[in-house]
Amino acid sequence: MFAPNEDTLTKVSTDAAMEFVQAFYTSLQSNRGSISTFYSPATSTILFNGNVVAGGAAVQDIFVSQMPPTHYEVQSLDCQVINQKYPTATATGVKRAAEKSAKDISILVTVSGYAKFGVPKNVPQRVFSETFVLVPAPTNSLGGVAKGKGGKGWLIQSQNFRLVV
Amino acid sequence: MLKLSTATMHNMGRAKVSRGRSRGPDRGAVRKRGGNRVDRDGDFDMDRNVDRGRGGKKARGYSGRGNLMIASTQGRDQRKMSIDRDRTRNAIQKALSDNTTTSQANFGRPAAKSGTSQAIIRGWKQSKASSNPDGGIQSLVAFLEKKMTPSDSKASANTRTRITKWRVEGDALIVSVRPELMFRLLKINGFSFAGAALTIEEYGQPAVGEASTADTKAKLTTFLGKRYFQQTKLLNLSGLGDDPDLVSMGLFSTTSTKSRFFPALMKMWELGFDSPEKCRNAVDSVSLANNQLDDISDVTTLSQTIPNVKNLDLSNNNFKDLEALSGWRWKFRRLEFLDLTGSPLSADPSFKDTMLKWYPKLRILNNTEVRTTAEIAAQGKAPIPVQPAYFRDDSQIAENFVRAFFVGYDNDRNDLVNGIYDNNSTFSFNVNTSIPRASQQNSIPSWDPYIKKSRNILKINHLPAQMSRSYVGSEKIRELWNTLPRTKHPDMAARPEEWLIECHSIPGLPDPSEQCEVGVGGLLIVVHGKFDEISPSKVDTRSFDRTFVIGPGGGARGVRVISDMLTLRAYGGHDAWDPNSQQPNPPGPRVNHPQAPDGYGAPAPGKTDARVQQEQMILQMSFKTRMTLVYSEMALSGNGWNMEAALRNFEELKVQGKLPQDAFLLVM
Repeated sequence: MFAPNEDTLTKVSTDAAMEFVQAFYTSLQSNRGSISTFYSPATSTILFNGNVVAGGAAVQDIFVSQMPPTHYEVQSLDCQVINQKYPTATATGVKRAAEKSAKDISILVTVSGYAKFGVPKNVPQRVFSETFVLVPAPTNSLGGVAKGKGGKGWLIQSQNFRLVV
Repeated sequence: MLKLSTATMHNMGRAKVSRGRSRGPDRGAVRKRGGNRVDRDGDFDMDRNVDRGRGGKKARGYSGRGNLMIASTQGRDQRKMSIDRDRTRNAIQKALSDNTTTSQANFGRPAAKSGTSQAIIRGWKQSKASSNPDGGIQSLVAFLEKKMTPSDSKASANTRTRITKWRVEGDALIVSVRPELMFRLLKINGFSFAGAALTIEEYGQPAVGEASTADTKAKLTTFLGKRYFQQTKLLNLSGLGDDPDLVSMGLFSTTSTKSRFFPALMKMWELGFDSPEKCRNAVDSVSLANNQLDDISDVTTLSQTIPNVKNLDLSNNNFKDLEALSGWRWKFRRLEFLDLTGSPLSADPSFKDTMLKWYPKLRILNNTEVRTTAEIAAQGKAPIPVQPAYFRDDSQIAENFVRAFFVGYDNDRNDLVNGIYDNNSTFSFNVNTSIPRASQQNSIPSWDPYIKKSRNILKINHLPAQMSRSYVGSEKIRELWNTLPRTKHPDMAARPEEWLIECHSIPGLPDPSEQCEVGVGGLLIVVHGKFDEISPSKVDTRSFDRTFVIGPGGGARGVRVISDMLTLRAYGGHDAWDPNSQQPNPPGPRVNHPQAPDGYGAPAPGKTDARVQQEQMILQMSFKTRMTLVYSEMALSGNGWNMEAALRNFEELKVQGKLPQDAFLLVM
């Protein structure tokens, strides 16, 4: 059975977290039409300030139609591998143990930073804390990442956003 | 007017006898005549109604839940305070006396031993002699000596009048002569020296050694007593250069004493209070008007001593541009009124926008409303409504976990690790050091105990460091935890508002038995809160965000921690997650005016916006002029509600003595 070493797991997870955070907050700010592509088709719980949101499409809808322009500044970021042998979804079910690689992991990501809501430059900065669980994007029948999701390797399984200051 | 009575001053030596007497219900700051006390050091004792001997037993300053932890914290703070106070005294001593080793006398102790008098000479910089290599000093001194010597005397070199010492400070020359010769020196005032008219004034007071420092402190204390208005929480530091008492102290004669004066004054102010908090809250309004300030460098300490000021009058100064104020860019987070009229920078096209950006609560700028109270209230509202914690537990697993966890983390980390962490558990933490500005705290306690292990991967890019800062397995976690500072989290039952704990289930966790290919289910728990960090010397409060992933485990408690991630940040309170603090129309800011009824200057049903604005102007007029609301309104309405015109009018009438006694507030 494949057993990735610590180096590989650390590299894969930190790269994934960095790339995800970079792309996701950029989309929230300036490419809201792409927000849903960051979400797994089978999301678990998504929370914004305690409000439950149904899934990626609903999050995108809220940001497109209700949210004022928002500026995020990610100031600290950490991640851990939750499951080194995540049962990645495939076209027919989940990957079996023998098919797994270092990319079949789930990743816990925590972010801390500033958020500013609204157009005027003088709106106050709020502090937010956000936790994500990222899981591998489902593979198609050929074992590659399913198309139509912007080619992202990891997708949001669950998310918890809170303004904390 | 408030004044320190001379009797009080003379009683300095036994001032402590009277402490505790006349303990009134008001815990305010400066009292009326006779109520002020000056302690042995000459410090203004504005707020010490509780015997010092009992210091620390009573958790003053807190709402007093009788919480042990807070009480002991307070005790520590007070001990620290008293050390700080001693340090501060020393600093004042230093600031006010000249400890340099030069033989030149200086401010605070002019003519320390020799029994000479000093005079300050200005105007010579404009003379032709100032282009001499020595700046013309030698020839100026020779000129002065010559002019001081009586023309009819047959003076030989020995009997000729001598200037014993001199020094240059900025554009001033300070000379020492024997006291009996001072009158001759002063006669030269107005004489022309190499094409420039000289001004000569007596400088400082002949004083001896330490006594002069104590004297200066007493004078500053008296000055503060005169300039502080407790009822209105106003500290009026306008026109400092014109204050006869300060001028007679020679405080503004030279650039160096001038730059040392304000920090010393601020330290004297702090010493008048027995806690920084009381000091901070004693003042709502500060005026630094009419001080010919080119920038804030001389007065910048104001933002440390009185950071919570709401009304700041900087009118009639000489600030050229925004740069002149930039040191106060992140200060005064509660500023509502700001007056910069009469300075060139007000004409800067970006002036208004910049001030709005710098001061999020700014409402009135240069006597014009720039933000409504509604706009300020709206700032606090999140575009995403704040809901109570989302907590979907499974058989109270998360609840029991969280309750036990933080008690264990505070009291017995070894036991905690043994109980719920195993060889696959991962812990890491990161410090968000960028938060300070969002917090209202003055300074953030150092992150030193943490920073070398912080795994903020935005900053920690190298793989080996990323790996070494991730702690896998109970042994490594235990080892790390034993190096981290001791903590005390608030009691969840007693202080639920200080916690926000959310929880929901999560699928796809690793199965320790490796039997289930699709993984097992568990819980994801996110906790936001605060803790006190306990070190031998002090207690610091910090905020944290902590995420746990827990799954079924074989231990006694039936759960294991899979992931534990901690973020530390500067203390930021708990209002952000309180659904009730996000009400659409919070009450307007309270006005501290002796006459203003509740709601004065704030919007109310049936009150027009125009009236609200008028009331705010009346308040401001009253704060500036000390006139009653009625007279302030008369002054404004009589001048078409033009603040500047009304103020000019007021000054004219005041000078002409045309304002009756009852135009002024009695308490000020």
